[in-house]
Amino acid sequence: MSAVAAARPYLPGLGLLAVGALLSHLVAGAVDGLQPLVVAVAIGALVGNTVGTPDAAEPGVGVDKLFLETGIVLLGAAVVVEEFLAAGPTVLGLVVATVAGGLLLAEGIARGLFRLDGTTPSLLAAGASVCGVSAVVAIGRVLDSRGSAITFAAATVLLFDAVTLVAFPVAGEWLGLTGRQFGVWAGVSMFSTGPVAAAGFAHSPEAGQWATVTKLARNSLLGGVAVAYSLAYTARSATDPGVRRLWAEFPKFLLGFLAVAAVANSGLLSPAALASIGRVSDALFTLAFVGLGLSIRLREMREVGGAAVGAVLVHLLVVSALALAAVRWLL
Amino acid sequence: MVSDAADEPGSPLVDRWTALDRGWQALALGLGVVAVHAAAQAAGVF
Repeated sequence: MSAVAAARPYLPGLGLLAVGALLSHLVAGAVDGLQPLVVAVAIGALVGNTVGTPDAAEPGVGVDKLFLETGIVLLGAAVVVEEFLAAGPTVLGLVVATVAGGLLLAEGIARGLFRLDGTTPSLLAAGASVCGVSAVVAIGRVLDSRGSAITFAAATVLLFDAVTLVAFPVAGEWLGLTGRQFGVWAGVSMFSTGPVAAAGFAHSPEAGQWATVTKLARNSLLGGVAVAYSLAYTARSATDPGVRRLWAEFPKFLLGFLAVAAVANSGLLSPAALASIGRVSDALFTLAFVGLGLSIRLREMREVGGAAVGAVLVHLLVVSALALAAVRWLL
Repeated sequence: MVSDAADEPGSPLVDRWTALDRGWQALALGLGVVAVHAAAQAAGVF
């Protein structure tokens, strides 16, 4: 099969994402103070929940995550390494503390307070503490969870992704946080990478960069969390823990982000070239956020269980309140 | 015999690309974009 023939099934979906992205720029250009990336999510969610995504467009729309990850790799070009190194130890400390503390807290709340059992509390804890749906799926694979438990936990995480995507920028504005404070706060408190980046950019470009970088640091802990869970559940299903598992779960695009940040800060590329790379990154984010909106299904969210929602809600409130206090104090 | 396009053996490049983990694909695309910009700068575009 030639490359053209292989690409053909993706064209309708890519066209849909492109039209959504173009529309979001037109709407944002017409309304003062409106961010194109926020409009992109809104347009996607509107289409996804009214007419729905056409079957023919499904393969192409599914490329949104590749666009998001490539956009993040290119975001490396906008990173001023000195600035991030200066705040690095503080942000890294916050990330490790919120992931480790968040996992224990979510397990405790789900099992102790809401009487959930089996692997569901661990799936919810991983989704809420590390990186959303991808963490749910990765930990579900490690723990040999039932497909229904993974779907249930993933739907719960998606519900909170949709709610926090709207709530965090509003709260950040109301609390009067700086771009850096808001970005780090969203980066350690929210769940999935796409909504974290979208919420960050909805506040300001600076917040978007900090939110994405903080979230990447959190995502990079997924391998370690997978190993910890496989060891904790040894009696049930520990298979192949160690370096191979750690590497299998490591988000590889993070290496690309670091490589691009290194090139951008080496002085090799001119400011005009870096600005152009930034525009490509923005375009990819807009396409990805239309896809993110299309994946938000309000009807499916109504089917999520009350106990799981309660457990994740308590976890989110506690973690985001503590993280808010920390970013205000430390940054 | 008429052969179906889907039955044809895949091109090595397409097969290799689809077999890649999404993280590696993103990394390759990102570095590709940076490489194009570096080449364009060398050619005097930027």
